[in-house]
Amino acid sequence: MNAKIRRTSVSVVRNTLLTLYALFALFPIFWMVLITFKSDSEMYTTTFLFHPTLHNYKEVLLRTDYFQAFLDNIIVSSGAVLVSVLVGVPAAYALARYKFKGKEDLAFTILSFKFAPEILVILPLFMVYQALGIYDTYFGLIWVYQLITMPLLIWVVRGYFEDINVEIEQAAQLDGYPWHSVFLKILLPLIKPGLVAAGLLAFIFAWNSFTFPLLLSGFRIETVTVASLKYIASDTVHYGQMAVAATVAALPEVILALLIQKHLVRGLSFGAVKG
Amino acid sequence: MACIELTHISKQFRKYFALDDVSFQVNDKEFFVLFGPTGAGKTTVLKTIAGIESPDEGNVKIDNEIVNLIEPAYRNVSMVFENYALYPHFSVYDNIASPMRSPLHKTDEETIHKEVHRTAAMLKIEHLLDRLPSQISNGQKQRVAIGRCLVRKPNVFLMDEPLAHLDAKLRHFMRAELKEMQANFDTTTIYVTHDYLEALSLGNRIAVINRGQIEQIGTANEVYYTPVNQFTARLFGEPEINIFGIELIECENGPKIKMLNNEHFFDLEPDVVKVLSEQNVHDLNLGIRGTCISYSFAKEEDNFFDGTVYSLEPIGNKSILIVDIDGERIRIIAPNDLHAELDSPIFLKFDLKKALFFDRTSEEFIIRHNQAHYIGGLI
Amino acid sequence: MAKLLLKKLYKRYSNKHSKLQNDFAVNDFSLECNDGEFVGILGPSGCGKTTTLRMIAGLEDITAGDIFIGNTRINDLHPKDRQIGLAFEDYALYPPLNVYDNIAFNLRAKKVKEADILSEIKRIAPLLKVDDLLDSRPVSLSGGQKQRVNIARAVIRKPKLLLLDEPLSHLDGKMRQVLRTEIKRLHKEINCTTIIVTHDQLEAMSLADRIAIMKDGKLQQYGTPLEIYNYPVNEFVAGFIGEPPMNIMTVTVSKTDGVFFFNFSGTDVSIPVPTQYYPHVQEGGTVRFGIRPSDVLIGQQSSMGSMVQVAVFENLGEECRISIRVGDDYLTMTTSEEIRYRQGDVIKLVVKSDRIHLFNPVSGDRLGEKI
Repeated sequence: MNAKIRRTSVSVVRNTLLTLYALFALFPIFWMVLITFKSDSEMYTTTFLFHPTLHNYKEVLLRTDYFQAFLDNIIVSSGAVLVSVLVGVPAAYALARYKFKGKEDLAFTILSFKFAPEILVILPLFMVYQALGIYDTYFGLIWVYQLITMPLLIWVVRGYFEDINVEIEQAAQLDGYPWHSVFLKILLPLIKPGLVAAGLLAFIFAWNSFTFPLLLSGFRIETVTVASLKYIASDTVHYGQMAVAATVAALPEVILALLIQKHLVRGLSFGAVKG
Repeated sequence: MACIELTHISKQFRKYFALDDVSFQVNDKEFFVLFGPTGAGKTTVLKTIAGIESPDEGNVKIDNEIVNLIEPAYRNVSMVFENYALYPHFSVYDNIASPMRSPLHKTDEETIHKEVHRTAAMLKIEHLLDRLPSQISNGQKQRVAIGRCLVRKPNVFLMDEPLAHLDAKLRHFMRAELKEMQANFDTTTIYVTHDYLEALSLGNRIAVINRGQIEQIGTANEVYYTPVNQFTARLFGEPEINIFGIELIECENGPKIKMLNNEHFFDLEPDVVKVLSEQNVHDLNLGIRGTCISYSFAKEEDNFFDGTVYSLEPIGNKSILIVDIDGERIRIIAPNDLHAELDSPIFLKFDLKKALFFDRTSEEFIIRHNQAHYIGGLI
Repeated sequence: MAKLLLKKLYKRYSNKHSKLQNDFAVNDFSLECNDGEFVGILGPSGCGKTTTLRMIAGLEDITAGDIFIGNTRINDLHPKDRQIGLAFEDYALYPPLNVYDNIAFNLRAKKVKEADILSEIKRIAPLLKVDDLLDSRPVSLSGGQKQRVNIARAVIRKPKLLLLDEPLSHLDGKMRQVLRTEIKRLHKEINCTTIIVTHDQLEAMSLADRIAIMKDGKLQQYGTPLEIYNYPVNEFVAGFIGEPPMNIMTVTVSKTDGVFFFNFSGTDVSIPVPTQYYPHVQEGGTVRFGIRPSDVLIGQQSSMGSMVQVAVFENLGEECRISIRVGDDYLTMTTSEEIRYRQGDVIKLVVKSDRIHLFNPVSGDRLGEKI
């Protein structure tokens, strides 16, 4: 009996703590969505009770060139992820299967790009970009985004390749599959969970990126993150409008993440794939 | 239709020689067994023939054509991997069907259906065709791997320990099945195992390999009755063959031998004497199997050896009796209901007509009595 | 050195995530081992043998039942107070210590004097042939050597009970045979009550004075190797003990002129039913027929038996095996090495009628006389 009471009370305490934490974590988002419906006049005077209005939405979505920024974000983020996949998957395969001098050093160097703070490299990059003439171009942004999208992708996909016994590829070759068929029919389906999960995460990192688009573009190309700055006017900060910009910008990632939720968990735990 | 030939194959992994000047030939439609302890290089040989590994030196020939530079897919061989190497995302049906769906061997779905079912029925896995590899046991996975290999008719079947992970009952059954099927296999097969029973049972010829080198190639009779050296002699047989040093004494009517702790001079058969004197060997080892030694609890004659019971291990339909004679451990076969106290006295008699003689220094086999009978006479 | 008594042991895992939730891993298991006896607990993986051993050692809680060592009930004693020597698979040697220190570890923990430790190790090490390894580190030892050190470490404390968990399973063929003999000799020298747990029937048969066979948590049979080999109490035990395995197949029973016969499907083979089984068979019924390969013989032309065709002939060195097709299965016999046959030869199949085993087709229990 004692054991049973103990188990139930542990369960209750655990669930209470989790709920409290969930409330704590989700509150800022809740607040953000809340103030999208608040007009500037009521911003500082009310908290939860107010007169909801769609004025902020109208201002942001119809009056400014928000959609252009949204579109730019899509182009740059998808482009970056696409390049990362096309280059990263073969790189991951090479790191998983081949032995060559300095392999682990190379692997770690690639991973280290993710650790380096963007601020550190931004000034030299600015000068290089100006010199090369790729400042404020889609090409330039997609290229620099590789610093944040590729390392994670290579790291996760490499783990997946390593978990696939090389004898499976050998068996496929002996069955009569030339190398590209082995890759498409056998390897690709097996790394799919990891690829999808890493790709999604890479997309989120790219989508949220602020420093790079701020300093390496900003005129012709404006991402949604940078565009949000506009709502800091000379006299006041239009929090409601900024909130709208942020909420709408967050929507695609949230939807994507919810859709591919189950892949995300499975995909990021390498040990899951056993031959 | 294919004979396989390996000539002077060597393969090094860093400093370690996986294969060291390996040469042998497999005839068309032969069931050729590659046998040796773990780590001997058997899997490397198989992968070299398949093209998955490339030799550092030497040539691989399939049907008299050098295939060193030909990709595995184009060599037209099929292989059973020791670790199964099944496609985890394909069903059992799709795994077995896979060779016939590949770009190089494309077949129509109707034929595929027929062949897959035929193969699955033979391996008793027809009821598993819809399952995924993760949903079946190791023994079943192994049979799927065998099925995937056998479903096609390639130049050669390469099998790497295909029965290793099956439980005893299934292993016996599958071995008998494979043997029965052999007659209908019209495909060359190279079969790797570390189990000497499988080697003796299945092989038309057996190649004994150790540390990357071929020790002997011969029929089951040849490797069991006339092993080329002590190492090979020890690999076959349960219990392990007894090998110990003996003394060759010149007497007036010919050479005799003295063994262990017995003062008696033992006669040698004339054909043995002839070869020993021809080869002028002085330091000899004697090899004798547990089935050629009898025991008694009383010293019946002078030629019986005094010993003590070291261990008695019943193993079902027989027992293994280990007798200590002068520090030498002699293993013999005894009935399963024998009772003997450890360290009690016991007396052994050796049937020297069935003994093998080895050179003590080189450990190579010299002669046994009536040698021709064992290689030629028996099937 | 002491008697071991297991009285109606039960083990149930209450962990929600265990596969055996609400099932008993060990179910009403009772065992009595005499002082100095070598007992084997044998069974397929998952049968509960290791769980039982761990309960004896104190590494698992006992759900119900009692364990006595000598006259002491040890259920509530801490493992270190049970005076048991453990040589378990996952009880690895301490890598930074050499063999001598590994063996001495437990004694030092009990504050035994160094001089006494030295003399004890000098006594034990030669028995396990580790005396020339005392300075080596575990990393340089082979599997067989590590096992010996493991056992030496367990034995040095002069325990009342020695527990061995699959000591030979990770060793290859030759090493296994050698260590098997060494363990047998060791047992004679130290005369300590020993329990060995294994899934390898050969290991149990060759080492144990008595064997307890377990399946699905329950005791199937407890007896000497010879008893279990000759009189298996059910089909499971019959098929589990003995290499090559016993031939067990379903046969139909027919009656001609008042004599019952066993008929094997797909063949003309017909074997007269031994008279002691008459009460257990019915005309037209089926029964499970068992015969060991060594009890099937090739008879002379004139002897009573059936003519069959050789499907498979295997030359295996010390003996040969002939297999006959019976339906989808094989009937195997072992013969001496000098006899040779080819596939397709016709031979006369004779069965030793006093070695026939019969089992109930539904329950699997042995039919006929029990010991």
